[in-house]
Amino acid sequence: MIDPFANLLRLLQSFFPPDLSAAYLFALLVPIAQTVGMAAAGMLIAFLLGVPLAAAIATRGPGHRIIIAVLSSLRAIPDLTLAILAVVVVGLGPAAGIIALAIFYTAMVGRVYGDLFSAADAAPLEALRATGASRVAIAAYGLIPLTLPDLLTFGTYAFECAMRASIIVGAVGGGGIGTELTGTLSTLDYHRTLTLVIVLVALVAGVDGFGMLARRNPRLVLLLLPAGLISLWLYRPQIFAFMHALHTFARMFPPQLDGAQFASLPLLIAQTLAIAVGGTLIGAALAFPLSLVAARRVVPFALAVAVRRVLDVARAIPELVFGLILIVSVGIGPLAGALALGLHSAGVLGKLYAESLENVPAAPIDALAATGARPLPLIAFGFLPLALGPLVIHTLFRLDWNVRAATVVGLIGAGGVGQALYQAQQLFFYRPMLAYVLVTWGLVALSDWFGERLRRRLGWNFVAAG
Amino acid sequence: MIEISGVRVAYGSGAPFALDDVTLGVAPGECVALVGPSGSGKTTLLRSLNGTVAIAAGTIHVDGLDVARLRGRALRRLRSRLAMIAQQHDLVDRLSVAQNVMAGALGRWSTPHALRFLVAATAAELDEARTALTAVGIPEKLRSRTTELSGGQRQRVAIARALVQHPAAILADEPIASLDPALGEQIVQLLCELARARKIALICSLHQIELARRYFDRVVELVGGRIA
Repeated sequence: MIDPFANLLRLLQSFFPPDLSAAYLFALLVPIAQTVGMAAAGMLIAFLLGVPLAAAIATRGPGHRIIIAVLSSLRAIPDLTLAILAVVVVGLGPAAGIIALAIFYTAMVGRVYGDLFSAADAAPLEALRATGASRVAIAAYGLIPLTLPDLLTFGTYAFECAMRASIIVGAVGGGGIGTELTGTLSTLDYHRTLTLVIVLVALVAGVDGFGMLARRNPRLVLLLLPAGLISLWLYRPQIFAFMHALHTFARMFPPQLDGAQFASLPLLIAQTLAIAVGGTLIGAALAFPLSLVAARRVVPFALAVAVRRVLDVARAIPELVFGLILIVSVGIGPLAGALALGLHSAGVLGKLYAESLENVPAAPIDALAATGARPLPLIAFGFLPLALGPLVIHTLFRLDWNVRAATVVGLIGAGGVGQALYQAQQLFFYRPMLAYVLVTWGLVALSDWFGERLRRRLGWNFVAAG
Repeated sequence: MIEISGVRVAYGSGAPFALDDVTLGVAPGECVALVGPSGSGKTTLLRSLNGTVAIAAGTIHVDGLDVARLRGRALRRLRSRLAMIAQQHDLVDRLSVAQNVMAGALGRWSTPHALRFLVAATAAELDEARTALTAVGIPEKLRSRTTELSGGQRQRVAIARALVQHPAAILADEPIASLDPALGEQIVQLLCELARARKIALICSLHQIELARRYFDRVVELVGGRIA
């Protein structure tokens, strides 16, 4: 174990100092604009398509069951897989990224907004219906205003995810910071890699800040419209490539694996699952102690805020970027993949765990503190059992997510189905590629279904006392 | 045993005093009821006794210790000698009844001891929990889940937890506010009997003046932060 650590240390040293020269920062303006533009355009389409679909689901419009099924299955294709498909079909560049983001986030917005709309207060909607209002009127006067705070909270979260995802799709040729990032890594230009990671963290923080402003002043969301339209126009797919795209798409059918590929499938699936489970375990193990020092109810405010910034940074760096950095120190393989997922998950879970710890009821904690309990027993007897339900639920959701992400890190050589998929694409083996896409889809859909059942079964009161 | 003298408490500068010139002494085994309308300072007084609320003027002595001067370990040691009982929402649902009762020992247990107990309780520790539950009349609940308890049983568990602290005083903040009248009277009676038998000073805030007169040695009325 000495060697990888020595490697990692040497590697980390080679990242410093970041390249902050004016020339480089200036040169970054285009990739930054591409990344932001991809996210804005993708989300614009996602909202324009997703909100009506969600309203159709919530108002039990015609075909709402089919809409739910289609959105759920689209969501099971990881964004990177969609991006690879889009790159194959429309060629390298932001257009492919926008298409991938638009498809993935339309499904996400449609499903989640559908749930939020369905959970809206029934009485005002009933009153609207009683006036004979149309479905559109019910959505405009009832569903959207009733659920606006939740819509904004989730919308900004989705936008933050889209920003990270637009880095990922960049890494497979979608343009923007992602493409720049893989470029610096392959040319061993680590100073610039660090610059890009800093830019990335700043961008995600910026989206976060914008989200907070938008929750206070919802009209700010309208800024998405010009930003999205401009980048849609700038990065529109080249129309003359349309026939080529159709032709390429046709070459994927029928999906097919040869004998050797088929025989290796169980191993690939096992690797993907191992990366997902390992990454979740590593993430949870790192996140739990960090969340204790990030919870304002548990430790002094200043310490909690400082730890939260660290978690924010871990959260802002996508799994793929951690993976790209890690393969240099621990080598390619599932370990790098699991560590990459673990580091990013630590950031996500740390924040969620900390919030769960902060949300426990005050009375039992006060009562325990009043016995003169020391800090650790106070956590073990109070915070932990009181927050156990949410902690487990968050971890299960993360495991779900990590099954998707495990196929994504496959692309940097972490192994599993994702790696096979990426290799097939690189070698223009389109029929096996589509077969791997379907395997990925099945794997994620299965894990979604399983996670859903497990959560429903466990509920919030699943742990027997004592 | 508890000496409160000229105590003032203000929440924020410029705010009216939540407690204003309160002086009160309580002897071991003495039962004192605090009555008065909501917002009259009953909870503030109880919380200032264990140092949860800082006082702006005056002194509070418990067992001869000046509460305002205690910090860290010394403050924890004081708290371990002052048992707090609130309304029925202060048990940890996911812990067992035995674990909730023995949480009263957290003030005297070391951290490793406390963590070990959660994983593997010894027979002696379970005996101690059973003894405390016997004193409050529900020994059969030792192995129950906390979520299975009724409101009155929850309060009995909270009292058992207080007994495990071997407290010098019990500070009860409207312990029967969410119980029906008959059950509430039983709990008040139990608290007073235990306090007298074990020489524990009891300060208990209540809304039921009738109960206060019937069971307590003294009734102290707070109005607007002052003793009426």
